[in-house]
Amino acid sequence: MSEALKDKVAVIGVGCTKFGDNFDQGYEDLVVEAAHAAFADARIEPDRVDAAWLGAFSPHAGHGKASVSLADALRLYGKPITRVENFCATGTDAFRNAAMAVAAGAYEVALVVGAEKLKDRPVRGLATDGRHPYQADGLTAPGIFAMAANRYFHRFGGGRETLAKVAVKNHHNGSLNGRAHFQMEVSEEQVLKAPIVAWPFGLYDCCPTTDGAAAAVICRADLAKQFHDDYILVKGLGLAVTSGRPWNDADFEYVGFPATRAASQQAYKMAGVADPVKEIDLAEVHDCFTWTELTNYEDLGLCPKGHGAGFIGEGRSALSGDLPVNPSGGLKSFGHPIGASGVRMIYEVVTQLRGQAGARQVPKHDLGLVHNLGGPGAVACVIVLGAP
Amino acid sequence: MIGITSYNCYIPRYRLSQAVIAQAWAGRPMPGCKAVYNFDEDSLTMGQAAAWRLLASAPPPEVLYFASTTAPYWQRSAASLMAASCDLPASVATADFGGSLRCGASALRAALDAVAAGRASRACVVAADAREGAPESAEELIFGDAAAALAVGSDGVIAELVGSASRSDDFLDEWRRDVDPHIHSFASKFSLTRGYQANVVEAARAVLEKAGLEARRIARAAFASPDGRAHAAAAKALSIPADRLEDSRLGDIGVTGAAMPLLLLAQALDRAAAGDFVLAVAYGEGADAFLFRVTDAIASLPRPVTQPGPPPIEYPSYTVYRKLREFLKTRAGGMEVSNVLWEREEPQNVRLHGTFCPRCGRLQFPMTRVCSGCRSAEGLVEKPLPRAGRVFTFTKDFLYDAPVQPTIMAVVDLEGGARFLCQLTDAAENEVTIDMEVELVLRRMRESASMHHYYWKARPRSTP
Repeated sequence: MSEALKDKVAVIGVGCTKFGDNFDQGYEDLVVEAAHAAFADARIEPDRVDAAWLGAFSPHAGHGKASVSLADALRLYGKPITRVENFCATGTDAFRNAAMAVAAGAYEVALVVGAEKLKDRPVRGLATDGRHPYQADGLTAPGIFAMAANRYFHRFGGGRETLAKVAVKNHHNGSLNGRAHFQMEVSEEQVLKAPIVAWPFGLYDCCPTTDGAAAAVICRADLAKQFHDDYILVKGLGLAVTSGRPWNDADFEYVGFPATRAASQQAYKMAGVADPVKEIDLAEVHDCFTWTELTNYEDLGLCPKGHGAGFIGEGRSALSGDLPVNPSGGLKSFGHPIGASGVRMIYEVVTQLRGQAGARQVPKHDLGLVHNLGGPGAVACVIVLGAP
Repeated sequence: MIGITSYNCYIPRYRLSQAVIAQAWAGRPMPGCKAVYNFDEDSLTMGQAAAWRLLASAPPPEVLYFASTTAPYWQRSAASLMAASCDLPASVATADFGGSLRCGASALRAALDAVAAGRASRACVVAADAREGAPESAEELIFGDAAAALAVGSDGVIAELVGSASRSDDFLDEWRRDVDPHIHSFASKFSLTRGYQANVVEAARAVLEKAGLEARRIARAAFASPDGRAHAAAAKALSIPADRLEDSRLGDIGVTGAAMPLLLLAQALDRAAAGDFVLAVAYGEGADAFLFRVTDAIASLPRPVTQPGPPPIEYPSYTVYRKLREFLKTRAGGMEVSNVLWEREEPQNVRLHGTFCPRCGRLQFPMTRVCSGCRSAEGLVEKPLPRAGRVFTFTKDFLYDAPVQPTIMAVVDLEGGARFLCQLTDAAENEVTIDMEVELVLRRMRESASMHHYYWKARPRSTP
């Protein structure tokens, strides 16, 4: 892994819809709202885009799974568009592919859109298509992470009280965010009393099923000033894929995600980050469940394995802490439209690094981290963004 | 010498108490309870469990007969699926018996004949039933669910066949048409005397006569019983002392249909001593009687063979029982499989084979082309997985669509090193722990695309 991409790509525009139960918006409405917001932010017309990447797990009904759902929504025809899907790390991987193409000089300006319209589907929860007919029957998204949480607590101690602290923090941050799915505070007692979804996760330990879209416009870094001065640079990128069936891997310890460790090492190396907890000012991490945020602290190298409880307990990841994590409210409170989440994290970090995050603005904002996790912790994408 | 070489049984873990049934119908309770299948069980899975206990550590039989009046398919051999899930070779001769309460005994007779004729040296007979009595009927009170399996052969005989007798009698007693969900019957004193008792006594007399044996020399008598009482009258008519008659288990298992004669025979063999004569009689449109003499080889079996397993769990209410009984009959969807995938993956999904890497010694599941341990792609071999292991981690999931919540999902470390993911069934919610010992059992998963779908689940280990 080299530093090849460091400072080669700039984010010049971001956009994001309100996340939530967007019953009055269809898939195309979400895509258009996010993309047009990003175009306006970049101060470009849609035609200025040379290529586009779509991150969507279950694209618009009637369009199959191909990239046409982005072309038709934006009427963006005759240009290269690629759909990317990598479980819940779809959005960041779409961004990563766009960034590599721009850094390679293939395109000057590229659009990345992450979008998901989950509430149009007739079934609850996340999509399960592509599964083996028998081998994982009974396994749900919370179940996958709950099995890891139980093993983690078996090994390191701790329990629901620790998890509740993550929910309380992220709901607090979400309460300051007008685009978040949930904009309400919750108390530790409320979290602990909630009905169990998959032990040890109660309702407030789980991210919701959410509609939403987010978009980013990127360009070659040396061209960024042609658009405006308020751009953000891509410092590092990492993607790592491990087994999609860790439950069959006798080496998998079930106390964290090697994919996150590998992806963050790649991104840190590219960005020249030697001590992440000291150098990074804020992080948007994949808190699909409260326990996932705990293990993320550890797997991202912010604290040693087994010490996540201390990291949240001491308030270090709070908005007022030395490394605020999920100032947006996270998946927990902002919501988790699968393909949109990764791009939404980029939207949040760019907004924070520009100092435009309002009530949830973190005080120091030079270097930000995005961490997106997919499947049973099998796909991790880490992006380091920095102010120029 | 031909006869029984081994035996085992499977009793579901759940019980429905007579008090709970009586409460549902505002009736007067009888004492005791009956064994009832879990929502993911049927006669095939219960039979498979009994068969596997018998076959796990034995050379494969050349014949596998399955008998049931409640086989899950009218057309699709339960015996063949059972043979595959017990990992028997394709050369095994399978057959399905049904149509009469006596079909378990008919299968036993056919297996003994096959061995006697020299067509097979090892045969396995499995009988299981999961019969439905109509709500608030007498049958609902007494029908229990269970399976039994007998190994028959000419080597290592623990109970030598002395003789057998058969009677056919188209007596109108109990029936179920192809369109009926429940049993119909003329339940009456006439049914018991002219139907049950006359046939059992005649068949028993015939076999004793052929053997030249007086009834008083019978050490254990295993008579299937329609009501838990009539068998005593039959034994009395034969002058067999009451203390030699096997308890019908009406008070804790119930009347288990085609499985009952084999189950009671297994129970008799658990108690018999070398040299004992054991008489087993099955009833249904006639009767089959078998006379066995227990051999010295019985000492080689660790008895009782029919271990009770983990302590039974009582259903809290009749409503819960009814919901679970109906779940797979009424809830469809969620699973589909092509015959192409079914066929190609049969070794792993049905036979529970994994892949062994001779280079690093790792056994793994699902079957793989490249070793998950050393990444070697050379020399990997297909190998059966051990079906016992320990829970590595688990969760109790309230989100999954199941009739009982929570669904327990478990990652199981199987003996030999393979790691397996599955649901954990037959367990009380608070019983499950990391490191708990479990065994893999075949269970009915879903009704979907007009098929019953079977796959593996873990269950608390029943034998130490």
